[in-house]
Amino acid sequence: MKEKKLKPKDFITVGIFTALLFVVEFACGMLGFIHPYVVASYVVLIPIVGSIPMMLFYTKVEKFGMITLMSVLVAIIMFATGMGWLGAPLIIISGLIADLIAKKGNYKSFKSTVLSHGIFCLWICANYFPVIVTAKSYRKNLIDGGYSAEYCDSLFRAINSKTIFVLLILCVIFGMIGAFVGKAVVRKHFEKAGIV
Amino acid sequence: MRGIYLDPRTKLFMIFVVSLIVMSNAVTPLEWTIRILLTAIPVFLLITEGKYASALRFTAMYAVSLILMRSFISEDSKGLLSALLVGYCGIVVQFLPAMITAWYVIKTTKIGEFMSAMQKMHVPDGISVSLAVVMRFFPTIKEEYGSIRDAMKMRGISFGGGKLSGMIEYRMIPLMFSCVNIGDELSAAAVTRGLGAPIKRTSAYELRLSTRDIAVMAVFTLSACLFIGAKIIG
Amino acid sequence: MKKMINIEVQNFSYKGSASAGLHDISLHIKDGETVLLCGASGCGKTTVLRLINGLIPHYYRGELNGRITVNGIDIPSAELYDLASIVGTVFQNPRSQFFSVDTDGEITFGTENIGIDPDEILKRKSEVVNELELKPLLGKSLFELSGGEKQKIACAGVSALMPDVMLLDEPSSNLDWKAIEELKKVIKHWKAKGKTIIISEHRLWYLKNLIDRVIYMKDGRIEKEWNKAGFNSLTSDELCALGLRPTEIEEKYIEEFGRGIFSTENIHPCSTLSSESRITLKDMFFTYKPQKYFIKKKKLNAADSADYTLAIPELEIPRGKVIGLIGKNGAGKSTFLRCLCGLEKDCTLRLTSDEETVSGRKILKKCYMVMQDVNHQLFTDSVEAEVMLSMDNEDKDQAAKIIAELGLAGYENTHPMALSGGQKQRVAIASALAANAEILLFDEPTSGLDHAHMTSVADLLTELAKKGRTIIVSTHDPELISLCCDHILCLEKGRLKYMRKC
Repeated sequence: MKEKKLKPKDFITVGIFTALLFVVEFACGMLGFIHPYVVASYVVLIPIVGSIPMMLFYTKVEKFGMITLMSVLVAIIMFATGMGWLGAPLIIISGLIADLIAKKGNYKSFKSTVLSHGIFCLWICANYFPVIVTAKSYRKNLIDGGYSAEYCDSLFRAINSKTIFVLLILCVIFGMIGAFVGKAVVRKHFEKAGIV
Repeated sequence: MRGIYLDPRTKLFMIFVVSLIVMSNAVTPLEWTIRILLTAIPVFLLITEGKYASALRFTAMYAVSLILMRSFISEDSKGLLSALLVGYCGIVVQFLPAMITAWYVIKTTKIGEFMSAMQKMHVPDGISVSLAVVMRFFPTIKEEYGSIRDAMKMRGISFGGGKLSGMIEYRMIPLMFSCVNIGDELSAAAVTRGLGAPIKRTSAYELRLSTRDIAVMAVFTLSACLFIGAKIIG
Repeated sequence: MKKMINIEVQNFSYKGSASAGLHDISLHIKDGETVLLCGASGCGKTTVLRLINGLIPHYYRGELNGRITVNGIDIPSAELYDLASIVGTVFQNPRSQFFSVDTDGEITFGTENIGIDPDEILKRKSEVVNELELKPLLGKSLFELSGGEKQKIACAGVSALMPDVMLLDEPSSNLDWKAIEELKKVIKHWKAKGKTIIISEHRLWYLKNLIDRVIYMKDGRIEKEWNKAGFNSLTSDELCALGLRPTEIEEKYIEEFGRGIFSTENIHPCSTLSSESRITLKDMFFTYKPQKYFIKKKKLNAADSADYTLAIPELEIPRGKVIGLIGKNGAGKSTFLRCLCGLEKDCTLRLTSDEETVSGRKILKKCYMVMQDVNHQLFTDSVEAEVMLSMDNEDKDQAAKIIAELGLAGYENTHPMALSGGQKQRVAIASALAANAEILLFDEPTSGLDHAHMTSVADLLTELAKKGRTIIVSTHDPELISLCCDHILCLEKGRLKYMRKC
């Protein structure tokens, strides 16, 4: 008996793991306040730490739609917490692709899970969108205010419309590395405890 | 009910407009006025809800950053400290309005209301149900995490025994075990109370857009138009 | 009279688990009957309830042979959402069964799900609020409520769906005596309305006069059945022999301690501990609302203590004894425990034992609390690692000794989360022993336990005390007090009401 439609239990599972993922996001966000440059390292921190709940989530995914649904939730929450709506298309499209990849592996194959998680992690870049979009005028403002162009460049060196591609790629790579880390943790604890 | 009641849809619209305006920079006095006005509205609404502390905190933070940034930039100063400061203040001034609005919306919207607003906007049930779960789980995670932190203190492993991986592992693992357990019990309890029925969910309180809502939306729409207009002309 | 519930099940087993199934269950319940399901944990009580509310086979998968009908509806072929207005269930854990964050939304949640007209929902809500006296709880966040209040809201949410059958799965597990009284009122009310009620429960005293019939289960089978008179004539010894909790002891103790806790007259603390070795607590002041100077909080002191959450200027605790900590909900028991083990860093407590006085962070080393939800304090992937984590210098032999002492030998490499509740509790105790804690604190260690498990906790506490540890156990369980406590410490409004020998 295999049911394709999502049930309330699946919705609740998605909700819980989205909440856990955002706890990771917020915790890393706090670190971002220490220094703006830390913000650039989200692409490393969030995929790796976030992979722990995410890999447990992947063990619970059996039907198409759960990963996509999660990306929709992520987009909505990013919007509601003031991160703007520009990231939404990126988040939802990467969620959908991640879901399709995982589906190809029947939600069992670890290989597809790794790739799927890598793609899913693209949502993290949506954190940068507001900064990138405002960067140009912000920079102009700073230069108008008497700052040297070099200073402004250094401020936006890590995050700008050019590096965003690097950041996107880093997200995927660390997402894939994270999948291994998360899987190891799931094995060490949840499989050993007989939960999954 | 305390405060000025607004429909969740109005609140979402507020977030939408504020994040739109936050996306572009303010240069002229008119643009600044609009920005500050739109920041003041959610602060004011927070005050009417009796959330004085957070209103005060946001206002102070915003004001200090604004003044610091303006004065520092005009002073033509350089050096690491001021550079950092401008960086911080810039981020705060830029994004705090959106955060204040978001904070206000999250603090004052009930899950039931939110779900019926989503339904009115024809958002599928799956999304509103899982979103409701997310909103219910934040306080749960906070509660659980509090107990876990206490337990870590008693064991003397708050710093993970000196290892970064330990710091993360000892926090995440018990938290995830708890959440998975609570989630299972929650699902069981929810389905016995009819969650997932293939019919239109009803809502105890019918949402209706009042004149207040329309007024607030009008103010926000007008501000957005003015702002964009000023941008185009400027 | 017509039969409301008919269960004829030859066999049921959960998917992927050999044990904990049901065999040859034949149970027929009349309309309006109140039935108690009892038996040791794991006997299949909860599984029977799940057959009735449809969670089996719709939510928990397994192999089911048999027929179940409720009010003429065939459960295995019905849909769960259609059953929502026929069978209502109140679950054991008040924390995990609510879906909303606010009380109002929780009461109407079920009715909204099944698409009832808004006017009708409001009508039902106000009815339920009146009947269950919930006015004071409306408009609150569920996270602010006590366990008892949450359980009442859960009852209200089920009640609003107006089902004919009410199931309660160990509803009193996390409740104190006062809250159990409230729960009893709710059940009485449902009974008066003619609902068919089935309660699975370990604590039997409060149900004595409510039930019509008692079903006793063992290893997935129905072993015995009594009517009300037959059940109430059972002696304590007979109940104990069946592994059930005697009803009399609880009643007697509630009578006795209840008077102490709930009366307004002042019982003066007696200090007859002269000859014994003791631990002294001094200046135990704490408040959740400290007076603030600009930046620094005002140091707590005796002069201001009138408004404090907890104010115990001096208290002597006998060493190597088990002390039962009792008091109403909100009397400050948990605050007392938190302060005593050093979790509240603003608490001014000074603890003297063996001529050595410690305060502040150092108290954390002296005391260790086994929490009510023991899952929060298990961190590692094996029992051995868990014990070693507490040691300053990892010592395998010592760890093995402690593990064996607590009867966990053979589980060294098992993941703590794979153990049973009682075993988890022992792992937590083991890690406290490994940390060399002198005072062990227990927060409600027997909530939700059956007779056998409760007795083994009592034995363990006695054993630990004999070995020189001082045990303070906060509890609502009179039987536990009668079995193992040497002294009773009663708190009221954060003040010491009395401390006396048992």
